[in-house]
Amino acid sequence: MPLITYIDAINTALNEEMKRDEKVFIIGEDVGVMGGAFKATKGLIEEFGPDRVIDSPLAEGVIVSSSIGAAMAGMRPVPEIQFVDFVTPAMDAITQQAAKLRYRSAGTQTCPITLRICYGGGVAGGLYHSQTNTTWFAHEPGLRVIAPSTPYDAKGMLKAAIRDDNPVIYFEHKKLYRSIKEEVPSEDYTVSLDKAVVRREGSDMTAVSYGYTMQLMLQAADKMKSEHGINVECIDLRTLNPIDHDTILNSVAKTNRVVLVQEDHRTLGISSEISAVIAEQAFECLDAPILRVTAPDIPAIPFAPTLEKFYMPTVEKIQAAMERCAQY
Amino acid sequence: MATKTKDRAETSAAPAKAVNGTAPLPEAKLKQIYSTMLKCRTMEEKIRILFKQGRFSGNYYAAVGQEATEVGCAIDLRPSDTIAPSHRDFIANLIKGTPLNLMISQIYARKTSPDQGRSSPAHCGYAPLNIITPASTIAAQLNIGTGVALAYKMQKKDDIVMAFSGEGSTSLGFWHEAVNFAGVHNLPIVYVIQNNLWAESVSVKLQTKVEDLSIKAQGYGIPGITVDGNDAVAVYRVASEAIHRARTGGGPTLIECKTYRWYGHSEIDPAKYRDPAEVEYWKSKDPIPFMENYLAKYKLWSDDFKAQILESFQKELDAAIEFAEKAPYAEPEEALDHVYSFSIRDRELNRKTWTPTVLQK
Repeated sequence: MPLITYIDAINTALNEEMKRDEKVFIIGEDVGVMGGAFKATKGLIEEFGPDRVIDSPLAEGVIVSSSIGAAMAGMRPVPEIQFVDFVTPAMDAITQQAAKLRYRSAGTQTCPITLRICYGGGVAGGLYHSQTNTTWFAHEPGLRVIAPSTPYDAKGMLKAAIRDDNPVIYFEHKKLYRSIKEEVPSEDYTVSLDKAVVRREGSDMTAVSYGYTMQLMLQAADKMKSEHGINVECIDLRTLNPIDHDTILNSVAKTNRVVLVQEDHRTLGISSEISAVIAEQAFECLDAPILRVTAPDIPAIPFAPTLEKFYMPTVEKIQAAMERCAQY
Repeated sequence: MATKTKDRAETSAAPAKAVNGTAPLPEAKLKQIYSTMLKCRTMEEKIRILFKQGRFSGNYYAAVGQEATEVGCAIDLRPSDTIAPSHRDFIANLIKGTPLNLMISQIYARKTSPDQGRSSPAHCGYAPLNIITPASTIAAQLNIGTGVALAYKMQKKDDIVMAFSGEGSTSLGFWHEAVNFAGVHNLPIVYVIQNNLWAESVSVKLQTKVEDLSIKAQGYGIPGITVDGNDAVAVYRVASEAIHRARTGGGPTLIECKTYRWYGHSEIDPAKYRDPAEVEYWKSKDPIPFMENYLAKYKLWSDDFKAQILESFQKELDAAIEFAEKAPYAEPEEALDHVYSFSIRDRELNRKTWTPTVLQK
């Protein structure tokens, strides 16, 4: 199996799906001749032409709304938002149209789009090139929201999303693009959009995260083992809506301790929801308070290195929370 | 590019001779336009009465006074063409052929409505005839319709999209993103602005400085035309040209129909912000008697002809009202359906409790 990066996985998935199904097309800013701001769509316009790799006007609203309409009429659009920081002009299309079209038409009109959104900090992107904002979308019933954390999942979940009959928001962390490599099958495969996965088995504590911070969480778990002999079970959420509660609750029933990690700021984040689910459905299982490692409640990630570092969850911050949890 | 308003004398002087190079309309088409307008008016006035009698709840957004616009534009659409309606385009369903039982079920929010009681009463879509189910956010369907037109072009179909919006929607950024995009990609779509002078309580003078909204087409490199929206024949001619252009690869057209909303924004709006003289003026330009006079001039109209249309339609309408009033509401738990392609009922209704694994052994 070839060893490939996360962004290669995305590019390969797009290429394979466009070959498999002529209804699949790409639309977004700079996705064509430039091959995308991060080169996720590199080479696709050369292979599939400008009718299927559309360099859109600088207008996020119509990138998404035109995709919704095209999907309604039988196409399988894969629109791209270059940075989640720029998604706001498309929020009506995403939350009021894509999320609600199936519902408001009682299932008779649907829009199977896969909206790829680049997100995340830790890259000195400043206030408007580093935001996370996954929670905005996870709060919308009707949308599937996914955030793969490995090249294998990046490819398999993107392919599954394109074939899925629901609108899917596909979050790809810019810091994952080239930081990790993994052996990924050349043959066709998909990864479930419904299931979280246990990345690391353990019996002493459950840790849950997604996207880039999932990788940090794994590193922290390794240190907990080597430094303290504590076995942390690490769950990669993968899907942020609808969340796979069972995988988390089964783990909590086993470990009785929980640390939740997210890059989004704290209030009403994914971790807040998971905390509530655990409190409601597994209260008897807890031996310690649920701890969260999140960004602080500030409007966006500041640029200066000292400020950005303060904002971002790190291996050290995650490990500190795991230690507190273990000591309770 | 954008042309000046065509007045009635110019566009619909006589069916017997060609106007602006177009062929005169066939008698059957003229009668179809008239009878459809009459049915729209009859249905909406009846719906308003039903609301005031408390027979359905919610609200209704009547297009009474605007029938020439809607009918003249949409009467020739094929079933496979898409209509992207606004909130005031319930009658688009009647024009395109949505079964009346389903439409009135929508008014009554019954299980038998196309959306099984989910949307508010005037928001009627119908998938089999490609009428997009409306959202209340303004210009939403127009934006989605632009995407449908993109798909039609990619699929090399000769179907088109007709997107309705009011003059108020032209103030939204979204509206401009869509029209601009359609221009860039030469999409098969006809944008119809029904300029009824009022967006709820806000005058068109507070929406825009331009006199004719069709001039906005110039900004996007597409043809724009303003037409007397109360003259069904004039509207029909303009729309036919735009539909033909869209169908044959000529790209989008922006049509502004100048018309008037007789009643309030909705049935709970007495519209006291309008000068009664303005309302009276526009009522004197009622598109239906105008069409009657027009037909009568060519001996195509009589009291009997009108009575026949009304008699048969009243029966259909009464039967549809009876059907809807007897139809059930959806079961409460059906609120959980059609969120995704898969069911969420189990997830929502059966929340389990977990106990510690050590105690389970």
